Amino acid sequence: MNRAVIIWRVASFLVAAGFIALWQLIANLKLVSPVFLPGPDRAWGALVRGFSSGDLWSKLAGTLEHMAYGWLAASIAGIAIGAIIGSSRTMRTYVAPSLEFLRPLPVSAIIPVAIAMLGLTQAMALFVIAFGAIWPIMLATIHGFAAVEPRLYEVARSLQMSRLAVIFKIALPSASPDILAGMRLSLTVALILSVVCEILAGLDGLGHWVLLSARAFRSADLFAGVILLGLTGYVTSVAMSLAEHRLLAWQAAQR
Amino acid sequence: MASAAKRLEAVSGTAAPQISFDAVTLQLGGKTIIENLSLGVRPGEFLCIVGASGCGKTTALRLAAGLYQPTGGKVNFDGQPMREPRREIAIVFQDYGKALLPWRTAAGNVSLALEAGGTPSAERPARIEELLRTVGLPGHAGKYPSEMSGGMQQRLQIARCLAQEPKTLLMDEPFGALDAMTRQGLQDEVLSLVAASGATVIFVTHDLDEAIYLGDRVIGLLPHPGRIGIELKVNLPRPRDQLSTREHPEFLRLRRQLFDFIKATEQ
Repeated sequence: MNRAVIIWRVASFLVAAGFIALWQLIANLKLVSPVFLPGPDRAWGALVRGFSSGDLWSKLAGTLEHMAYGWLAASIAGIAIGAIIGSSRTMRTYVAPSLEFLRPLPVSAIIPVAIAMLGLTQAMALFVIAFGAIWPIMLATIHGFAAVEPRLYEVARSLQMSRLAVIFKIALPSASPDILAGMRLSLTVALILSVVCEILAGLDGLGHWVLLSARAFRSADLFAGVILLGLTGYVTSVAMSLAEHRLLAWQAAQR
Repeated sequence: MASAAKRLEAVSGTAAPQISFDAVTLQLGGKTIIENLSLGVRPGEFLCIVGASGCGKTTALRLAAGLYQPTGGKVNFDGQPMREPRREIAIVFQDYGKALLPWRTAAGNVSLALEAGGTPSAERPARIEELLRTVGLPGHAGKYPSEMSGGMQQRLQIARCLAQEPKTLLMDEPFGALDAMTRQGLQDEVLSLVAASGATVIFVTHDLDEAIYLGDRVIGLLPHPGRIGIELKVNLPRPRDQLSTREHPEFLRLRRQLFDFIKATEQ
């Protein structure tokens, strides 16, 4: 790590510390009523209390579970469907207009539909999260498969490679940068929708915790939940970057 | 020695053709690219195809590869009609940057051909090392193509083609994008590789000197539609030498003849 990087890191920590100090100052001066805005000290206290009693653990686990299942389902389906559509020009021509209609559809609009069909259940949450998270992955996969260098297909033909080998040795690795970028976008979508589903359907998770805390005017607990959600988003995104970095080491060589 | 005998046979013209074009016509998008092309390439022969751009020389190569099917006539390989590409025919593309897998190392790229050919995974590392050494890339096994120079990438593609153990090597302006020094070095390496393996070669180039230097025979195509305009037998001694071969009176005579032909086609 060179000096410039270290300086930037230190600077970004200082900015974050500054924000927390400002938050503490506003809370101490009671610029906003303590009923609505706890200071970072109280929020931290609530976090510690929540974890030591085990309540927050189970809520966090609930949210992570919703997010992970929805995201995985979206990834598997998105890559499979995207690969089929992306590798055939005919399919792209036929299916593209339907996709263009479905894609911009706000996912919140299909939640009532999902509730009507599946009830206030885990299955509903899974469906909604997967439906929302599938788009970035599927569209990225379609693009990735459509953009495979045609020359590589000729190489595959001259090697008489099987269809399966062509998919796994040529198309999929070639599309992997696009696919991983799509999966990273979907991660955020999955987190957002997990919280929304928990709030709407009362499913166990941080969304539900945040809602109940707000209703009971337990602002410190509310903030603890929000902080935890922020951390979840941050940690999963960092983990995804690390995975991308490892899987796409060959791209680093290219630059 | 077997390959030397084969070459002699090829040059003297006694063997049955390995690849033959029988009145081949190809139309693409309503345009006739190649018309009534008949041609036989004997086993072990080194045939060069030259011609002005747009004369269909790359198309002829793709027909020989089975990447295109003729709209008229027949392309045969070992007496069998070519319906699709086959592993015994390896293609060296000009754009090595696009023909290599950027996510695989040099070893991985060679491995692709071995995997396709069903070489057991236990035998692959040794084969890969041997092939990389053959093309002058020992010690580069772990490098990605993007970490290699153009000349090295083209060597790597040649190594992958050799891994197919081809009977025929089709080369489409393989050195067109390389600088002059690298090109001469690779020309000599291809000649010695081919001499060692006894493979038949069809080599497309726009460099007339290169065609005469490498080939047993040079064919010049006429454009619109592509057809044979000139056929020259190259009776230059082998092994060829960058200096003495290029100064040989026969080389200069053929060069003159070929230049005159190309000039005439461009008018």
